Amino acid sequence: MPYNIAMVSDFFFPQPGGIESHIYQLSTKLIDRGHKVIIITHAYKGRTGVRYLTNGLKVYHVPFFVIYRETTMPTVFSFFPIFRNIVIREQIQIVHGHASLSSFCHEAILHARTMGIRTVFTDHSLFGFADAASILTNKLLKFILSDVDHVICVSHTCKENTVLRASLDPLMVSVIPNAVVAENFHPSEPPSVPRNMGPTDIITIVVISRLFYNKGTDLLIAAIPRILASHPNVRFIIAGNGPKAIDLEQMLERNVLQDKVEMLGSVRHEEVRDVMVRGHIYLHPSLTEAFGTVLVEAASCGLYVVCTRVGGIPEVLPQHMTTFAKPEEDDLVLATGKAIAALRSNKVRTDRFHDQVKMMYSWTDVAHRTERVYNGISGDISPEEFYGYYPGQDWEAGRDRVRSFALIDRLKRYYGCGVWAGKLFCLCVVIDFLLYVFLEMWFPRANIDMARSWPRKLNQKENNRLAIASKNDRLGPAS
Amino acid sequence: MPGRLILRRPSPTTVSFTVSNASRHTSTAAKALFYLQILLRVLALVCVLLLDIAKFRHSLFLQDGSWIRWTTMWSSSMGSSVCRVADAYSSPVVVLASTVVIYGVFRKGYTEESLLVIRGLGIQTSTSSQTYLSKASTRFIPTTQIQDIVIHEAFKGFEVRFYLAVIVKGESEVVVVFPKLLPNRQILEEVWRGSRRCLYDSKS
Repeated sequence: MPYNIAMVSDFFFPQPGGIESHIYQLSTKLIDRGHKVIIITHAYKGRTGVRYLTNGLKVYHVPFFVIYRETTMPTVFSFFPIFRNIVIREQIQIVHGHASLSSFCHEAILHARTMGIRTVFTDHSLFGFADAASILTNKLLKFILSDVDHVICVSHTCKENTVLRASLDPLMVSVIPNAVVAENFHPSEPPSVPRNMGPTDIITIVVISRLFYNKGTDLLIAAIPRILASHPNVRFIIAGNGPKAIDLEQMLERNVLQDKVEMLGSVRHEEVRDVMVRGHIYLHPSLTEAFGTVLVEAASCGLYVVCTRVGGIPEVLPQHMTTFAKPEEDDLVLATGKAIAALRSNKVRTDRFHDQVKMMYSWTDVAHRTERVYNGISGDISPEEFYGYYPGQDWEAGRDRVRSFALIDRLKRYYGCGVWAGKLFCLCVVIDFLLYVFLEMWFPRANIDMARSWPRKLNQKENNRLAIASKNDRLGPAS
Repeated sequence: MPGRLILRRPSPTTVSFTVSNASRHTSTAAKALFYLQILLRVLALVCVLLLDIAKFRHSLFLQDGSWIRWTTMWSSSMGSSVCRVADAYSSPVVVLASTVVIYGVFRKGYTEESLLVIRGLGIQTSTSSQTYLSKASTRFIPTTQIQDIVIHEAFKGFEVRFYLAVIVKGESEVVVVFPKLLPNRQILEEVWRGSRRCLYDSKS
């Protein structure tokens, strides 16, 4: 059954990044499967209002105040009037929020539940439990997720993290990894020829990441001089920009490594492949990562991957494509040395990586699995089938997981969030509900113009059926 | 009040779309109410003018004019009562109150916006003025400058609204048709179809 889905997140194009392309790819594939998808995000500089992307993907850039790293101000209620208007005019049935740092997505999920719409949340990132910012974010996440219908995580590590942070029922969390468009990341040479590496050939190591603390730029700064000292025939290409770029440049100047390390600055996502195919090894020193799409992209380009064993990274690629390191300087240098040695001995068949990755990751598959989640929460497949049936258990599968929209049930769920937080959350929900009632009176539903849907493209099967039908029509009168 | 569309087609190459939120005065009661309203407006205007003249009678209207004898007027019973009322308030209050009332008298209770399409010549958008005293603001766009006519959506207040816009060559901003009333999608689609047919379709 086709659904009308609204993807809500603070992060979307024109800003580059993993979440952004995830939302875009998933949306286009869902449209291909016959659903109607719109995206709601905040206005970016030079991009406001309503826009259409390829395939009739409609994007609402809601004008909103941005505070930090393209995240909007958390104002809890101010988004509700316009969100309600969009949801009604587009006849949305499922609201799908992305990214736990996006206040837009949290607010949308809260309001959607108030309006009686099913919600899904996709978590793309890992968080700690110790520092103040994490505690605050975790509390907020717990608030939002205590009433969400289903949660999707991009890796099993991420699922574990989210379940702990938001005290969720693990059966309500599905794991659907990211994917890559393998056609956009093909290696430079024809894949059948194995690359032969001589002992003195130059090996190029590529690093593509935003230069932030959490991406492990400090680790990279410490490791580069040591790697270059012990391996003279190695070159680095570093693409990306961020606050740590200045430290990196200082390190290069201190050690006079400008001729061995090339800094490209920020590259656009469509240029990433061209940078990657210039190298042999992809180095990923990240300190925390929920999935690491860039690793899949690198492997798809035929690069051997050296990465830190943190977060969901070990789940991403099979053993023969990667060398793992602990997230510390010595081990990273050691692992890079191992990778260089492995490449020099021609033991790694990097030429086969592309086809293998293509078999493992595809957005069509992601969309298919996401659709099953939509089916599950909308009740198109039974809760037993969706959550699994466990004979002999003393609970029913769908008893507490199919969440009712009754205000009292919702308040019960929020009340369990904490001694003080529970009461505060209940207050928020009650105000939200009153606001909804007020909006229904002030801006009545009947006055809202329904938007037209993009004319749906027929898929291959329907096309064929139509062609056959019209052929029969033409043959019919003649015979 | 939602706007309604009035379509006029004086010749095959000319069409005018008017969107208005004025009430139609179809029933007898509505007609009576309409005339009563006009009467009240005239009455209010006369009263205010009289009050103003009474207030400033010492400075401006002291001597007898050529055709109105002010002195006899102020000494009459009605004139003296008006003078009493006028003297009870200070002059800023009277000026302010009379400005408000005069504005209210001349204010239109409705907005009317129209789009006139003439093939081979161009289109003219117009928006009625707020008062009866000023003219409607119009904008004419010649055919050669019209790049396209489109319907799009935009954020307005707490809503997303449809609007009909004319893209003008060489201008960075589009010209919005019916900018105040922003009628609903059905009306806009009808206007869009009609105006495009009139502008570009050679058969009709």
